Amino acid sequence: MQKSVKRYYKMEGHPDYETILRRVCELLVPYVEKGTAPEEDSDFVADLNFDSLKVMKLVEQVEDEYDISIPLNILPDVQTVKDFIIQLQKLMVS
Amino acid sequence: MTMEATPTINTIPLRAGDFSTLPEALNYAAQGQTGYNFYDGRGKLSAVLPFSKLRDEAQSLAQRLSGLGLERGARMALVADTHPDFIRFFFACQYAGLIPVPLPASIHMGGRKTYVDQLHRLLISCRANVAMATDDYFPFLSEAAEGLDLRFCGTPQAYAELPEAPIPLSPLGPKELAYIQYTSGSTKFPRGVMITQTAVLNNLAAIVKSGCKIRPGDRGASWLPFYHDMGLVGLVLAPLAAQLSVDYLKTRDFAMRPRLWLSLMTENRATISIGPPFGYELCLQRLRQSDIEKFDLSAWRLAGVGAETIRPAPLSKFAEMLEPCGFNKEAFCACYGMAECSLAVSFASLDEGLNIDSVDGDYLSEHRQALPVETNVPEGEIRSSRFVDCGTPLPDYEVEVRDSGGRPLPERHVGTIYVKADSIMSGYFGDLKLTQEVLTSDGWFNTGDLGYFVNNGLFITGREKDMIIINGRNIWPQDLEFAAEQQPEVRTGDASAFSVPGPNGQEKTVMMVQCRVSSDPQRTELRERVQRLIYQELGIECYIDLVPRNTLPRTTSGKLSRSKARKEFLKRIERDQLQSSERPIFISANRVQAG
Repeated sequence: MQKSVKRYYKMEGHPDYETILRRVCELLVPYVEKGTAPEEDSDFVADLNFDSLKVMKLVEQVEDEYDISIPLNILPDVQTVKDFIIQLQKLMVS
Repeated sequence: MTMEATPTINTIPLRAGDFSTLPEALNYAAQGQTGYNFYDGRGKLSAVLPFSKLRDEAQSLAQRLSGLGLERGARMALVADTHPDFIRFFFACQYAGLIPVPLPASIHMGGRKTYVDQLHRLLISCRANVAMATDDYFPFLSEAAEGLDLRFCGTPQAYAELPEAPIPLSPLGPKELAYIQYTSGSTKFPRGVMITQTAVLNNLAAIVKSGCKIRPGDRGASWLPFYHDMGLVGLVLAPLAAQLSVDYLKTRDFAMRPRLWLSLMTENRATISIGPPFGYELCLQRLRQSDIEKFDLSAWRLAGVGAETIRPAPLSKFAEMLEPCGFNKEAFCACYGMAECSLAVSFASLDEGLNIDSVDGDYLSEHRQALPVETNVPEGEIRSSRFVDCGTPLPDYEVEVRDSGGRPLPERHVGTIYVKADSIMSGYFGDLKLTQEVLTSDGWFNTGDLGYFVNNGLFITGREKDMIIINGRNIWPQDLEFAAEQQPEVRTGDASAFSVPGPNGQEKTVMMVQCRVSSDPQRTELRERVQRLIYQELGIECYIDLVPRNTLPRTTSGKLSRSKARKEFLKRIERDQLQSSERPIFISANRVQAG
């Protein structure tokens, strides 16, 4: 499943903001309490109760999903899901 | 040309830490072929720094630093990323007569401002004269250095462009400091532990000779941060003092892919690796059955465990799961120590695994005595607490367990642990008052930990000081409380932070905050604001418990009592849980200390 997703991206160029957002929100589901729906404006800490270990797990998944390397120094500027997607887009283009 | 890691087998005879200074230790190690190896986030070798190359590069860098006209003993702040450049600069300071001060390299999501503030405060606290960070961290360091009078602040490249000054190098001597180590955790109230060359070399010799019994063929592996005492002293300086090769993973890469640790140990057949219990647990959580065939851990002879309360159960599970890969549970070795003692105080006997003492928990809390209980007592009859033997104190250590009046206690009596040795710090940098609180005039250091002795084995039962330990990191409640007190709704002295056992035995942080805010949305907003601040600063989750004004418990002298607050909180939780069928977030009373 994951492999076919990657191939799709390679064929079609870089995924757009909406596509990444949808996928990241799907990836976030197992991290949050039942009844919480992760969305664009969710704050990782206040809304989704993230701690540093959860952040690391998520970063690993996203790295594998999109075959990119996410440098640690982008994280300080990330507060919401939207911030995260914007950083991911930058990484995919570069 | 492909890169090759430094060999395990050396070409010079092993000298077990018998040096008087770090430069002397490096000069000897540089005659051999061993050294430091750095691996990237995919487990590939990314840089190799043999001790010989390290010495040459550190000396050349020392000549450049000498041209800056700094006073002897001036402080050089180094953001301690797991990177060869940190090590080069650390040793350049040794040769140039400067004192290196490792600073934390840990940034949390959304935490730019808090990290910059933290670096800023540490630069002020150590009165840094020069500072360095690798490219990844330099933007934060340079922002933190704004407004401070530093002689030079730059990346390794910027330092490389300085001219080498034609001044003969005069390395740090035995009586001078080797480094200043900020005890992990406190950011608002930094404690810079001053360690002399003699102190650290004494401890290194004891670790190498008595603690680990290093022998030819040993090799280290580590994912511990270089700004942590166990990472720096245990896995950078001790291997150097015994001329061992070490393989490093960045802490961040370990946290993301913990199994890399085991792959790396398999690849290079490392024999020694040390970490907090949390590291083993993290690895365990992410292990897959299919990994088991890939790993060969049969060379791993010393799996050190320390830095936080040791819960034996997850470690047993780790051993059980990895037994088919040749992991031997006898390799577990509990140790006890702290930055104020350079690093190590005691090591359990090698090749014996964890030695656990089960004691009567109720008797312990009422009478402060650890009475052994039979392990086959039916459940429910006696509440038993399990503690791990942290071993015999290292040879140059005197250790006493004392009562509140300062009198030494007999075996199995719980008291405060005091230690005396030549590896103890000279004091906290620039803080005489704090130093005098913990160091007596006759050279005893009050660890603030509680424990007892059985047959010369030291068992740690808890802490007298209110420090909280999460994932092997020391967290000072003052830092958490400060985050709350900064809020307009909260006054100074209106917050009390402590830790309680979570459902899986790991510590969870809780902070009781008293305030007048009564509307629900406002309360939720305040809770989230404080939680976010704490996360940005320390990377931990903290449960915020809002209580009405004037309800925080105080001591008889009117001071806030964190231990009373904790007791009240646990009592309330127990009551609430009796009335509710929801899954508990906290263990209702302090049922399990360890195990």
